[in-house]
Amino acid sequence: MTDATPLVRFSQVRKSYGAIEAVRGIDLDIDRGEFVAIMGPSGCGKTTTLRMLAGLETPTDGTITIDGRVTNSLPAHERDTPLVWQSLALFPFLNVAQNVEFGLKMRDVPRAERQAKVALWLERLGLEGFEHRRIDQLSGGQKQRVALARSLITEPEMLLLDEPLSALDAHLVVRMQGVLTRLQKELGITFVYVTHSQSEAFAMSDRVVIMGHGEIVQIGRPREIFRAPRNRFVAEFVGHNNILSGTVTQGEIDVDGVRLPLAGVSDGPAEIVVAADRMEIYGSPPSSPALKAAFVSEEFAGAGVICYFEGPGDLELRAQVPEARLAELAPEPGKPFWLAWAADSPHVLTHREGRT
Amino acid sequence: MARKPSIYPYFWRAPLLIWQGLFFVGPLILMVAMSFWLVRNYRMEPDFVLANWERMLTRDYFWSAYQVTFLRASIAAALASLFAFPASYALAFLVSETTRRWAIFFLIVPFFTSYLVRVYAWQVLLAESGPVNAVIGFVGLGPFTMLNSGFGAMVGYLTLIMPLVVILQTFSLAAIDRNLIEAAWNLGASPRRTLVRVIVPAAKVGLILGAVFAFILSFGDFVSPFYLGGSKPPTLSILIIDTTKSGQQWPRAAVVAVMMILTLFTVAFAAVGAAYRRNA
Amino acid sequence: MRLPILFFRLYLLALFCFVFAPIVTSTVFSFNSDRFPTMPLGHFTTQWYQTAFARPEVWEAFRNSVTVALSAATLSTALGFATAYTDFRFGFRFKSAYLALALLPPTIPLVIMGLAMLAWLGQLGLSGSITGIIIAHTVMAAPFAMAICRMRLQQMDASLEAAAWNLGASPWRAMRVVVVPFCLPAVISAFCLTAAVSFDEFIVAWFVSGLNKTVPVMILEILQGNVDPQINAIGTVVFVTSITLVVAAQLLLLGKTAR
Repeated sequence: MTDATPLVRFSQVRKSYGAIEAVRGIDLDIDRGEFVAIMGPSGCGKTTTLRMLAGLETPTDGTITIDGRVTNSLPAHERDTPLVWQSLALFPFLNVAQNVEFGLKMRDVPRAERQAKVALWLERLGLEGFEHRRIDQLSGGQKQRVALARSLITEPEMLLLDEPLSALDAHLVVRMQGVLTRLQKELGITFVYVTHSQSEAFAMSDRVVIMGHGEIVQIGRPREIFRAPRNRFVAEFVGHNNILSGTVTQGEIDVDGVRLPLAGVSDGPAEIVVAADRMEIYGSPPSSPALKAAFVSEEFAGAGVICYFEGPGDLELRAQVPEARLAELAPEPGKPFWLAWAADSPHVLTHREGRT
Repeated sequence: MARKPSIYPYFWRAPLLIWQGLFFVGPLILMVAMSFWLVRNYRMEPDFVLANWERMLTRDYFWSAYQVTFLRASIAAALASLFAFPASYALAFLVSETTRRWAIFFLIVPFFTSYLVRVYAWQVLLAESGPVNAVIGFVGLGPFTMLNSGFGAMVGYLTLIMPLVVILQTFSLAAIDRNLIEAAWNLGASPRRTLVRVIVPAAKVGLILGAVFAFILSFGDFVSPFYLGGSKPPTLSILIIDTTKSGQQWPRAAVVAVMMILTLFTVAFAAVGAAYRRNA
Repeated sequence: MRLPILFFRLYLLALFCFVFAPIVTSTVFSFNSDRFPTMPLGHFTTQWYQTAFARPEVWEAFRNSVTVALSAATLSTALGFATAYTDFRFGFRFKSAYLALALLPPTIPLVIMGLAMLAWLGQLGLSGSITGIIIAHTVMAAPFAMAICRMRLQQMDASLEAAAWNLGASPWRAMRVVVVPFCLPAVISAFCLTAAVSFDEFIVAWFVSGLNKTVPVMILEILQGNVDPQINAIGTVVFVTSITLVVAAQLLLLGKTAR
């Protein structure tokens, strides 16, 4: 086993439940020390993938290799792939210390060593003094940290996380993200993080795996996926994107009669993606070509405001602007605006050479 | 866990199959078989004769017992459903959640508490010179003979089934979506129409289930008709006991038992079918 | 709306009076000096308890009842728990038939169970024995234990057991350290309730008991004679026992669900 072999390798892994195919032949390598987020809408097979890695499901086909060893049918309890559950699954009849030491107890680690490790991990996660608390006396964030300590106490090579932050309040989510990334860096172990939340996946992971309908649609660094979605599915799922289709001629794309700049693309029909934050809104027709669209509604999102518009031919358009700019524009439903992008912005999704 | 077939699931699944197979299905099958056995010189011999069936099913006393039992069980189920409903309605809609929980609590207690002793207590209560007649006598009526009559038996049946019927009805009524009822009011339905058109149909399954259990329990009960009903006319359960306890006529008792089971299954299936049939 | 509310209050009161009248009556008359149940009452006495419990056969019956109740409760709770867990955890073919088998016994009239058991235990050479009563009571009580355990399992996060495997517990060990502790209140509750069911059951016991009478069977046989206030005394003891068991069973469950 050299460091060249990945920690985990899925090859052609398939999982079906009767007629339903949850995972349809995926290939995926996960390296040591990597923070990988598997992301997708519900029912895309991401949780099944994670559960197969933990040995809670057996693949129908293909092989899963951990550390160079095929583990398809290795029972869950003989693996060292602790999972942080969506429900946390803390044992309600055990106190904090008993929950945390559970994995060591199952490995018949002597009492003194267990106690030392429990103390260490509680300290590491800021839970000193909570040893004897009952689980139902803890706050959401504390429970989360107990679950982490319980999973990490056996010092595994990788930690699996199944939407662990979905039950937390928004402000706690950001704090826990910090806790998780710090832990991952400090421990240098692999985190495989399943989520449907783009912000969680992009904020924490080194690589994002986008799944849809049981297949891997795209793998890449968060920025790559964000700026260059491979297809319409990813473009729609990730971020606030405008998806436009039209015909390219001489460095311009014709969208419903409006010719907008699109450099470096040869002639032919194309589908392009423009991120909402790259869209510019004009209150009056600009000198350069722009799409005329009626304002629909706005939505406050983090740094700015996302404005929704209805363009020509029922085209849904969105643009992200700073809050101050929104005040300047003074939008009202139905009020016309003009939208356009900077010349280098669009990402081409599909493109066919030649004329239609 | 596909590596080696684990015995784990079977360890948990098997006990019921073994135990109920050996001590529930086995006895019932034997009983059915026994109804075809031959009794000769007061001894049973495994055989396949229809004599017991012929003997029981051609006798008037069997059919009159069957009639009495079926009629009484039906009346008991109807009365229990009727008497229980206002109480269940109150528990479901007019009291707090806590009160309802405690009411159910105190209804479960008697359901599991010495039916026999409770029936004996009714013997005391309903006696010619007992407390109930004393109260009635106080207003210048009676004394009435309440024991050894259909009335006495009915009191016994209701003692047995009332708590269960109220519990089942309350659960099904409490489970009705309040919005449904408020919507009915909002649309101008009178309370009475709401009850008939909304509440009763919505709680239908529980109401029917309550009546079915009332029927099943009364149909098979032996104590009330015997000790409060004076065992005349005999019911099917009394018939079984008389036939079993006096002499070795178990096969004939088995015939009665099989007839009872068939009846109960028919009633239960018909009722469950009615309960889950979609409203027209 | 005031008047109907009052009506419903009184109606509920009347219902509970009807349900509890026999229990109260039996208790009151067990301390009443008159031999026959007449009004007004005589004076307070404990003589019926003294007479009843001076008889060795009463003690014998109680011993039998306790033996039967404890054994049947243990067996039926174990059986009920295994069945409830099977239902909770596994899916398999013919599962609905399996569950029907598990839940059917209480719908069979006791008289019929008695007859069938009498014949069957006779074939096995167990008729007239305490073992026979234990077997029969286990069959009849197991569905109640199953129902209670199943309700408790319903409250268990399904990933709790998987979490134990994930942390290195084999299925057997996960059962011991996670499922059983979680279900413990329900298991004790089921034990109490099935003990009450067995302690009160008399028809099947009467069919199969022979000379080894349990308390309710003894009551049944005394009843066939004449009115005897000793029954009130013994009956009150039976009431107290089974009410205690049923109340304990319910409190154990309520305490856990409320949390």
